[in-house]
Amino acid sequence: MAIKRIFIAGAGRMGQGIAEAAATAGIEVDMSDIDQSKIDEGMAGIESSLNRSIERWALTAGEKHIILSRIQPMMNIENAADPDFAFEAVPEDLELKKAVFTSFDEHFGDQTVFVTSTSTLSITDLAGVTGRPDRIVGMHFLFPVPRAAIVEVVGALKTSDETLRSAKSLAAQMKKRIIEVHEYPGFITTRVMIPFINEAAYALMEGVAGAGDIDEAIKLGFGFPIGPLELADTIGLDDLMTLMESLFRELGDFKYKPCPMIRRLVRGGRLGKKTGSGFLTYDSGEGGLS
Amino acid sequence: MKILVLNSGSSSVKYKFFDAVENVCHAEGQVERIGMGGSLLHHKRLDGDRIRIGVEATDHAQAIETVIATLLSRNHGVIADKTEIDAVGHRVAHGGEKFTRSALVTDEVKDSIRDCIELAPLHNPHNLRGMEACEQLLPGVPQVAVFDTAFHLTMPPHAYIYSVPYILYQRYGIRRYGFHGTSHRYVAAKAAEKLGRSLEEIDIITCHLGNGCSMAAIHKGQSVDTSMGFTPLEGLVMGTRCGDLDPALVLHVMGKENLTVSEATAMLNKHSGLAGISGISSDMREIEEEAAAGQERAVLALDIFTYRIRKYIGAYAAAMGGIDAMVFTGGIGSNSPLVRARSLDGLDFLGISIDTDVNTKCIGCDAEITSEESRVKVFAIQTDEELVIALDTKRIVSSFQ
Repeated sequence: MAIKRIFIAGAGRMGQGIAEAAATAGIEVDMSDIDQSKIDEGMAGIESSLNRSIERWALTAGEKHIILSRIQPMMNIENAADPDFAFEAVPEDLELKKAVFTSFDEHFGDQTVFVTSTSTLSITDLAGVTGRPDRIVGMHFLFPVPRAAIVEVVGALKTSDETLRSAKSLAAQMKKRIIEVHEYPGFITTRVMIPFINEAAYALMEGVAGAGDIDEAIKLGFGFPIGPLELADTIGLDDLMTLMESLFRELGDFKYKPCPMIRRLVRGGRLGKKTGSGFLTYDSGEGGLS
Repeated sequence: MKILVLNSGSSSVKYKFFDAVENVCHAEGQVERIGMGGSLLHHKRLDGDRIRIGVEATDHAQAIETVIATLLSRNHGVIADKTEIDAVGHRVAHGGEKFTRSALVTDEVKDSIRDCIELAPLHNPHNLRGMEACEQLLPGVPQVAVFDTAFHLTMPPHAYIYSVPYILYQRYGIRRYGFHGTSHRYVAAKAAEKLGRSLEEIDIITCHLGNGCSMAAIHKGQSVDTSMGFTPLEGLVMGTRCGDLDPALVLHVMGKENLTVSEATAMLNKHSGLAGISGISSDMREIEEEAAAGQERAVLALDIFTYRIRKYIGAYAAAMGGIDAMVFTGGIGSNSPLVRARSLDGLDFLGISIDTDVNTKCIGCDAEITSEESRVKVFAIQTDEELVIALDTKRIVSSFQ
C-alpha cells in the first residue's frame, strides 16, 4: 500500500532531510515548526540541497520543481490533513518530544502512525504519552537523509507488527535499505560510531598523530569513505556531544563520555563543517581538508 | 476485433483503443500521476472530443479501471459494453533473450517477464502490473505482450556480445538487446511496401529519432544490428542521454567529482545529450531555432547529433554490404527536414541523393525524400507502435481462436 502523506514536526536538518527524501519518493509532506523563520530556513535548506543535487547531475530542474511542490510548510498543525505517518524531528529532548507526540495525539486520527527520529531516547517512554502505543515506531535516518542508504526501523515495547510492517513499507518507498533493530539506546549506528569517534579524538588529544593523519590512516587502511574526525565534523560537534551525553546518561558507560577535546572545540564555537572548522578546517562548504 | 493497447509506466498508463479490422484508433489518452494523488486523465476521441479530468488512481488497477470506464462513458466513450473489448495488447520493455516475438500472456509468460525485471527495473514491473490489472478487470479477455527488444533478437553474436569478459554475459546477461523494436519493424515493412519490393530481398537502415534515438540495420527483414545496447543509453545522441562514449570517462568523472553510481547514472541519462551539450534544451525544435540564430553550442549539439547518425549509416551500410533503403521516423525523424538533410550530407558515395524540395516540405507526413536517380531510397515514415501492438495482438489472439 503506497504511503501518500506524512506530517513532520521540526524543520531543522532532520526534518528537512526526511521531507526531501519523502517528497522525492512521491509522498506529500506537511512540514511545521514553532516559528515562521524556522520554517523559512527549513524550506530554504531543502531547496539548496536540491540545488546541490542538480549541480551534481542527480536531479533536473523540472524534478526539483515537482519535489518542492509536494512540500507544504505550515505553522499550525490544525491546517494539516490526516497523514499516514506523523514524524517528530525536534531536538533530542525527551520532554519536548513528549509534547509533540501529545499534540499529534490530539490532532491526528487513529490510523496515523507516529514516528520518532530519536537515536538515544526511549521510544517506549515517548509512546506512553499517547493513546496509541501500538502505533508508535522509531525510524532513525542518517545524514544526509536523502543520500544515506539505510534507515534503522525500531520497534518499541508495544509497537504492533502491523505498525512495523507499514514503517518498513514507507522506508522501502523512500528507497532505503531497512535495518530492523530492537529498542536500545544508540541502536547500531550511533552506538558503534560514537566510541569510534571518541577514540579518534582521544588519539588526537594524546598526541598520537595529527587529525589529517588519523583520518587518512582509517580511510585508506580500512577502506572507509570518511575518517572518524571528518565524520564528527559532518555530524556537528555540538549535536555529537548531545548524543554522547545522552548515551552516557542512559547506559552509564564511560566509553560514551565525550572526550574533553570535543567539549573544548564546542566551547570554542568550532562545531565542524557547518562553522568551517572543527577537528579539521574546511574551505567553503563540503570537503577540502586542510 | 476491438483491441485496447496499454503502455504502463511507473506513474502513468497510456492507452489507445483500436478497431483492428479497419485499423482505426477510436480513442486514446493517458492517466498520469498514478499513486501520487492528483491523478489526471487525458482522453481524446477520434471525432475530436477531448476531456481532461482529475481521477482517483492509487495504483495501476485503478488507473486501468478508469480507462475502461472512460471508454464506456455515455458522453465521451466509444463502446457500450465491456465485452466489446476483444483483447488487450501490452507494450513490454524487456523480453530478455526469451522472446523473439510477441506472446499471448500466460502465467509462464508473466514469469519470464518477471525474470527480466533486473534488466528493466523501471519498466517491466509496471508492465506486469498492467497485465494483472486487466486479468481482474476483464476476466477471460486474452492479452498479448509485445516486446521492445524482441525484433532485435535476430542479431548475430558478433553484433550483440560486448568485448568484456564473456562471463559477464553468462552471469548477468550483459549483451546488446536493443529497443524500439516495434517501431523499427513497422517502418522497415512500410518502406519495403513503398519500394514495391519484398522485405526479404532488401537491406534497410532505420532511424528512430524521438525522445530516445536508435538505429537498426535490417538485412532481409531481420535486425542484424542496432545502436541501443544493454540499456537505451548507448548509440546515438538523444535529448538528455549521452549515447556512445568512452567508458573510462565515466569512471574518471566519478572519481573527480566524487559521484555516486546513482548520480553518475542520472548525469548520463538526464543531463547529457542535446541538453548537456547545448545547455539550452533537450528539444530538437529549440536546438534548431537557437542554431539558426547562431548560438554556438546549439550549432555544436546539432553537428554532433547528425554526425553520429552519419557514422552509423556508414557502419551499417558496411555491415550489410550496401543498402537499398533508409527510413527516418520518430518525432525528430518525421518532423525535422534539417536533421534528415544534415544526417545524409555527403553520402552521395553511398548512392544517396536527397530531393531538397520534397525533404523540406515533408513535416509529419510520409514521403520519399530522395531524388528519382538516387540509388538508395530514403523515406520519412511516421511510426505507429501502438498500431503494431494492436495488429500483433489481433494476429496472435486469432491464431488461438
